[in-house]
Amino acid sequence: MKLQWRLAALKNGFQDATAYRVEFLFEILGSALVPAAIQWVLWYALFQLGGATQVAGMSYMDLIHYTFVSLLFSQVRGGDHDFELAEMIRSGQLSNYLLRPVGVVEFVYIRGVASRLFIAGLCLTLGVILAQFLGFSGPRMIGAMFLALLGNIIHYQVGAALATTAFLWEEAYSLLMVKNMVVNLLSGELIPLNLFPPSLQWIWKSTPFYLFVFGPTQYALGHWSHTEFFTQVGIALVWIGLGRALIRGTWGLGMKRYLSLGG
Amino acid sequence: MKLKIKRYLDVYGIQFKNNLVREAVYRTNFLTAVTVDLIWMGVEVSLFSILYANTQTIAGWSREQVYFFLGIFFSSDALFTILFQRNFWAFSDLVNKGELDILLTKPIHPLFLALSRSMNLTAVFNVILGLIISARYAGPAGFTGGWHWLEWGAWLIFGLYAALQMRFLFSIWIFWTDRSWAFSRLYYQFFAFATKPDTIYPKAIRYLILTALPFAFIGSVPARALLHGLSAYEYVGAAGVLISLTGINSILWKKGLGRYQSASS
Repeated sequence: MKLQWRLAALKNGFQDATAYRVEFLFEILGSALVPAAIQWVLWYALFQLGGATQVAGMSYMDLIHYTFVSLLFSQVRGGDHDFELAEMIRSGQLSNYLLRPVGVVEFVYIRGVASRLFIAGLCLTLGVILAQFLGFSGPRMIGAMFLALLGNIIHYQVGAALATTAFLWEEAYSLLMVKNMVVNLLSGELIPLNLFPPSLQWIWKSTPFYLFVFGPTQYALGHWSHTEFFTQVGIALVWIGLGRALIRGTWGLGMKRYLSLGG
Repeated sequence: MKLKIKRYLDVYGIQFKNNLVREAVYRTNFLTAVTVDLIWMGVEVSLFSILYANTQTIAGWSREQVYFFLGIFFSSDALFTILFQRNFWAFSDLVNKGELDILLTKPIHPLFLALSRSMNLTAVFNVILGLIISARYAGPAGFTGGWHWLEWGAWLIFGLYAALQMRFLFSIWIFWTDRSWAFSRLYYQFFAFATKPDTIYPKAIRYLILTALPFAFIGSVPARALLHGLSAYEYVGAAGVLISLTGINSILWKKGLGRYQSASS
């Protein structure tokens, strides 16, 4: 039974995401190609136009490789299902879910993650093919994708905890937008995090966001040893444990305030 | 003609008053919206700060010049947010749900009504913040100032008009598709090109954002014009692009209306 509803939610989420196939395709292309082009342009400006030979110890080709490989993982980290949770609280739709014999936070996650799993599969295939041409290791790509999927869970947990502010202020949209912007910069999606000046490196190191894109990319490119990788997987699991506790706490408090009025 | 203009101004005045009342009611919304915008600006500025921690110039742009550009870009984008952003998000519902019907029956251009109904007055704060950033870095960036600040205002309107035309170009397809979310998202993906000075782009991309999808007109071209001036060729080219875009949008609007079937009826 437990597995059955989860599989049903996964199937439902996948059907929902692909109901409008053209939109789905546009979304993937738009969210992949344009950010990659922007990154590439920055490296082009620094190296080809600016004449730099190395930036923070990285060559032009190092940065190009980073851009292409990080693109595969940045497609996995996303998902707007935390926004869905906030909207359910705000509108009172949450009541419908409370009547069901399933955990609402997990249900929304599973339904929302379906499309990401599909994308992760595509990206992994692409990554393994890319690895053959660029001389990376295929198994490393699989490990990196595993870390990216752990990152996806952490990302949702942070969003689900933030969404509970909707119990207090009705509206959590802005807070979730702020979270997305911060994640955008601190996950390594915009630029490699080792470009941060040494005095500012603590900023990204003290959040779990680097595990979403930067970490998987570092491992896939061979910049992290296997030991480092397994340490980071351990750290990710600790963050997941903390996230779970955070969700229990915030949702427990939030449900005490919930009025189910909507509007 | 005078009467017509007065009628449009009167309608706009009423829309403005309605929006002002709405903003006054949702005060928390004001605070959260300002916070989101501040973080967004912070991320953009941080990105360049990190890059400039590793290099002196990027494609000939010094740190101060880029910040000056960002100030213009923030102001121009905020102006668009105030006047049009919410209306474009609601545009697909107008067509999908048949809400356009009611606008078509009014004795005023339906597009004027569709694009002036909602305003996001909280973004006024961002226009001011953009101006402050521009003013702060104007001198070190090499902007001569003085009466040229009037040009700053004119270029802001230029950027606003370019953004309006492009956003419309990405929204009009709702007449042909079931949902326009993908196109709207695509607009914001391409919008990222507007957040960097156009001269840093390779030729092909630069050509694209100066012609077919003139995202560089939002902040980059105005910043270049204010800092170094543009060539006569660039002035003519920019005017040509905006006139063409306006023409294409007019044709698409008319064709779209021809397909409109009033889904609600």
